[in-house]
Amino acid sequence: MNTTSRNLQTIVFVLIAVGMIALALGGYLTSLSRFFLSPLVEIQTWVYSRFQVAQDILRAPQDMARLQQRNAQLEAQVSQLQAQIIELQQQLTEARILSALVDFARANPENRYQAAAVIGRDPSPFLRYIIINRGSDDNIRRGMPVVTQQGLVGRIDAVTANAARVQLITDSASVVNAKIQPSGAQAVLKGQTSGDLLLDMIPQGVSIEVGNLVLTSGLGGGYPPNIVIGQIAGIRSQPQELFQSATVQSVVDFNQLEIVLVIVNFRPVNIEPLIPEGSQP
Amino acid sequence: MALFLAFFVFIPCLMIQIGILSNLPLLQGYPDLTLLVLLAWSLRPEVRSAWQWGVIGGLLMTFVSAMPVGVYLLAYLLVVAIVQFTRRMVWRLPFLTMLVMTILGTFLTYGLSLIVLEFFGRDVSLGDALWTILIPSVLYNLLLALPVYAVIGELARWIYPVEPIYES
Repeated sequence: MNTTSRNLQTIVFVLIAVGMIALALGGYLTSLSRFFLSPLVEIQTWVYSRFQVAQDILRAPQDMARLQQRNAQLEAQVSQLQAQIIELQQQLTEARILSALVDFARANPENRYQAAAVIGRDPSPFLRYIIINRGSDDNIRRGMPVVTQQGLVGRIDAVTANAARVQLITDSASVVNAKIQPSGAQAVLKGQTSGDLLLDMIPQGVSIEVGNLVLTSGLGGGYPPNIVIGQIAGIRSQPQELFQSATVQSVVDFNQLEIVLVIVNFRPVNIEPLIPEGSQP
Repeated sequence: MALFLAFFVFIPCLMIQIGILSNLPLLQGYPDLTLLVLLAWSLRPEVRSAWQWGVIGGLLMTFVSAMPVGVYLLAYLLVVAIVQFTRRMVWRLPFLTMLVMTILGTFLTYGLSLIVLEFFGRDVSLGDALWTILIPSVLYNLLLALPVYAVIGELARWIYPVEPIYES
């Protein structure tokens, strides 16, 4: 009896199970399963999210260390790239300057040039000298004129094997024989302690104006003729004085000198032996 | 050792001075880093090579600068002499002494330079020299005096370590 009853229960159970499966496969239990599963899914989601938070807290130190390391790597990479950008910008600037100097050299084929980079300035603030990275090994000699594509810079004052010192025309001991265009009047350009340029010894009868061009005259043999120096910026003329004087605005920015050209085929002429002893300064 | 060190200290200083500081003028003035190093070194009580450092600094400046030969050498030796004299009298206030000596040393070095340049026939405007070169240079030197003193002080302590005194 018992056995028959147990078998019957089993059969009923199997039939119910098969029926349920059939209903589920047929899609008839969807609403019912949703009713029961939705709260379970919600609970499961909450449990899992809490677990993830707990896991993040436990893992945080490891992640933080990894992130910091990665951040440091990226920062180093950014610094490296920034350095590369600066270097490339510098090279671009140098290329532009060199291109302008090449154009200048082509426009003045009568001269031979040696390009040199400015590597320093005289440590004394009373003197206006620059130091360049070319010396006697590059055929640089004392007295050679130094120019840029804009105009006259100065002349070589001292030379070592691979460096030279250039006296700028703004130095207070610099004297350049100049001429004023368009009048053609001769004058003497002197450097000042303040770094300004003073054009002196202009004859009183000569008419000069602000904006007139000042060029090397070539007199005295210290500089080749017709190198641009600058423009007259102001005139000082007193009727009772023998000469007029004028301030000159140089075409060269002496604070921004980076690359200069030395005229290597010019040999200055020493005229001192020809000057009578009594008239020498 | 201290003499060799002078070259290793002065040469980079000179390179910084002619390559960097000379391009960063305050009006027309710029600092004399070699002078500041010499002052800071001479002011240290444990240092016994101040005169030699004065000679080396002066010779290096003479080599680089277009200033007539001997001006820097003479100026720096005078500065060392003044510092040696002052050090015996004022030794408790090293920072203050450094500042006062910076002003004195700058005026002495640049004053001597001006006199020599005038002697050699340069047309130097004293007004321009004072207001656009000398005073800005003094201010610039004062700005750098204390950092230089601190660095050179550490160097002096390294070269001349003070032995601890144990009481019996």
